[in-house]
Amino acid sequence: MSIIYVLIPIAMLLVFIAVAVFFWAVKSNQFEDLERHGSSILFDDDLPKKTNKTQPNPNKHNE
Amino acid sequence: MQAKCFHCGLQVAPQFTYHTQVLGKQQTFCCPGCCAVADAIVNNGLEDYYHYRSEFAEKASENEDDILNKLKVFDDDNILQEFVEAQDNNSEIQLTISGINCAACGWLIEKQLAKIQGINKVGVNVSARRATVTWDNQQLKFSQILEHIEKIGYHAKPFQAEQHEATFRQENKDFLKRLGLAGLMTMQVMMLNIGVFFDLFGHIDAQTKQYFNWISLFLTTPVILYSASEFYSSAWRALRAKVVNMDVPITLALTLTYVSGVFATIQNNGQTYFESLCMFVFFLLTSRYLEHSARYKASQLSANMLEYMPTTANLIEGNKLTPVLAKSLVVEQLVLVKSGEMVPVDGVIIEGQGQLDEAMLTGEFDLVSKSIGETVFAGTVNQLGTLTIKVNKSLKHSMLSQINMLQNKALLNKPKIATLADQFSQYFVMAVLVISLSSYIIWLQIDASQALWVTISILIATCPCALGLATPSALSCAVAHLNSKGVLLKRADALEQISQVDWIALDKTGTLTEGKFTLVNSFCDKNQDKDECLELAASLEQFSSHPIAKAFAELPRGYSVSDFSAEIGQGVTGNINGVSYKLGSLRYIQMDVPQLMQSCNVFLSTQDKVLCGFLLTDKIRSSSVELINELNTKHLILLSGDISPVVEDVANTLNIRDWLAHQTPEDKLNVIKQAQADKHVVLMVGDGINDGPVLAQADVSVTLGAGSDLAKSSADVILLDNSLEKISLVFSIAKRCKVKIIQNMSWALGYNLLVLPLAVCGLLSPWMAVVGMSLSSFIVVVNSIRLLK
Repeated sequence: MSIIYVLIPIAMLLVFIAVAVFFWAVKSNQFEDLERHGSSILFDDDLPKKTNKTQPNPNKHNE
Repeated sequence: MQAKCFHCGLQVAPQFTYHTQVLGKQQTFCCPGCCAVADAIVNNGLEDYYHYRSEFAEKASENEDDILNKLKVFDDDNILQEFVEAQDNNSEIQLTISGINCAACGWLIEKQLAKIQGINKVGVNVSARRATVTWDNQQLKFSQILEHIEKIGYHAKPFQAEQHEATFRQENKDFLKRLGLAGLMTMQVMMLNIGVFFDLFGHIDAQTKQYFNWISLFLTTPVILYSASEFYSSAWRALRAKVVNMDVPITLALTLTYVSGVFATIQNNGQTYFESLCMFVFFLLTSRYLEHSARYKASQLSANMLEYMPTTANLIEGNKLTPVLAKSLVVEQLVLVKSGEMVPVDGVIIEGQGQLDEAMLTGEFDLVSKSIGETVFAGTVNQLGTLTIKVNKSLKHSMLSQINMLQNKALLNKPKIATLADQFSQYFVMAVLVISLSSYIIWLQIDASQALWVTISILIATCPCALGLATPSALSCAVAHLNSKGVLLKRADALEQISQVDWIALDKTGTLTEGKFTLVNSFCDKNQDKDECLELAASLEQFSSHPIAKAFAELPRGYSVSDFSAEIGQGVTGNINGVSYKLGSLRYIQMDVPQLMQSCNVFLSTQDKVLCGFLLTDKIRSSSVELINELNTKHLILLSGDISPVVEDVANTLNIRDWLAHQTPEDKLNVIKQAQADKHVVLMVGDGINDGPVLAQADVSVTLGAGSDLAKSSADVILLDNSLEKISLVFSIAKRCKVKIIQNMSWALGYNLLVLPLAVCGLLSPWMAVVGMSLSSFIVVVNSIRLLK
């Protein structure tokens, strides 16, 4: 059981890091808009759009 | 079934359809505006927006040029500097954007702006409907940014957060930090102590237990010192004002448990309840955070409603015209007001004559003719003619500011109604404190070692937490429900007052009526084709800016007009296919009118003959009738600044028994004050600047989304889509909300009374008290959430 004398302080250290990260996130306004960023991952921006930009390709989406 | 517009989702009239290619298919649109917006989105390669969106967009506006011209004002450095934070070449600005309906809108705006050369950073906040934009002011003009947003169908305005909103935001962040810290620490302390409680690890020796206590103490301290600090200061404030509030027993329970825990740990003897402490703080903070963030969001949205357009003026200095800010004008300066511009400041006309739209002050939209020597007021709009005015009062002392001051005074004097819960919890808290103290003394006689823990259990178990949540949780759910139905509540406790309303005052123009001329009927000479007459009239009126012209704006106007001219206050004339036509009042056409057209007020004529008569009136909103029918159990009164016959007519049509005409803002205010003095709870529905003070004075006030800024800033309820029948929805939700509050309170109270004897007898240890308290609060919250449906 003596391992807990080492593990618990390490856990506490991690918790304090988590608290610091959380405070930083609040401070940098990351909790201001909870609606938007939840879904922004679904908007695939990283698709190559270069060709699309100048000339919309009508055959790309056919629902 | 009729087709729906691909962009805005409104029904498409079959005779007016527009088409464009979106997502590889031919799509149908309801108006050229929506079609143009969709085209702009597709051409920018952003058509994915139509994939991502979860809601339809707002209907696009059609007269885009008008808006763009107004936006040019913001290119002036003097004006822009009020909003912008500049650093070197980089300017940063906050915009409020209307038309944002779902997360995809945020994506669309960011993508659209990010493409422009010179934009450095764009962040769109969907829930607050705002954006922050940073741009290089050497490369890009501010109006161009607004133009780009306008093109894809949103309306952006520069915006300055009010002081109280900044505080709100800071508080919200503080709450989040406190809550996050308490949450993380609760998890840790709980993890350690659950093991100890239930002997999960088999036998734990005394040394390890002592080690756990020290760790728990270490982890709990920031929760007590930082997370819970709000409770101490609130309790202290209450005590200093010689009252007790719910935070007093909370503070007592927290400090007692913590201090005794510290002693027990140091002396290695006795019981500690650090995990209960953390959990208690965490649950309390959760409920308060939820309540606070609901209020924060409401305040953000209502602040967005207040468009802030700084007014500019053309100052005449010698032969030169310089644009200046209206508020910098001083007495005796000369100002030029062109046709279509807003009068920037109170003054006397010294040259020219014009027709002024004084709807902002009187609520009446019919134009008033004014010429040399007459006074014009700031905020009114010069529709026709060019005026040179001499400033006779600075903006600070203008009529507009005086109405504003009247309103602020009324708001300040509005009695704060002490809510039921507040009064009640006073007594409750006192009783809890007395009972705890007496049981402490009694337990000292029975078993001194148990006395402290029994007292703490009583304090925690009877924590009026659920009682405190009963009202706010029900109110915030009701507010959220109304929000989703297009009703914005600026003050949640207004709901509590609405259920007591028995006296309703209504404004006429713009509230019960549409506030604009509508073509009600037309009578045609028997040799003439009616449709042709209407088209002739519409073609003539398209060049006029008179409110009457708007009544014809929807009609087809296929003829080309030459030699157009408009006579101030009379009518218009023009040449179509070689024939000279006149359209205007009886006085203007100067001809005898056939019997058939006696009821009309606008006539179309050629040189020798009256062709057609039109009846234009201010149409009563269709929703007004429904509203009056539903509210007729209460006392209704119509208050209007208009002349008696018109007011009487509207009152009779709508079946309202009481009406008062010729009412100035002060008169209206006195009527409401009198009613309040007679112990009536007054609801006022109004929309104009002249209604501002009355709206502020009434116990509950309702305005329309189309109302003036002043009305919106003083109203408690804003009907965003201008449909009056939503007022009855507000009434029914208010009623349901009241029932919920009573249910919640009886549950909270019942639970507390039930658990009190158990705690007093010492059958409840502090951790059980915490679990019970949390469960009771949870039930209250779940019950309130049912209001959302």
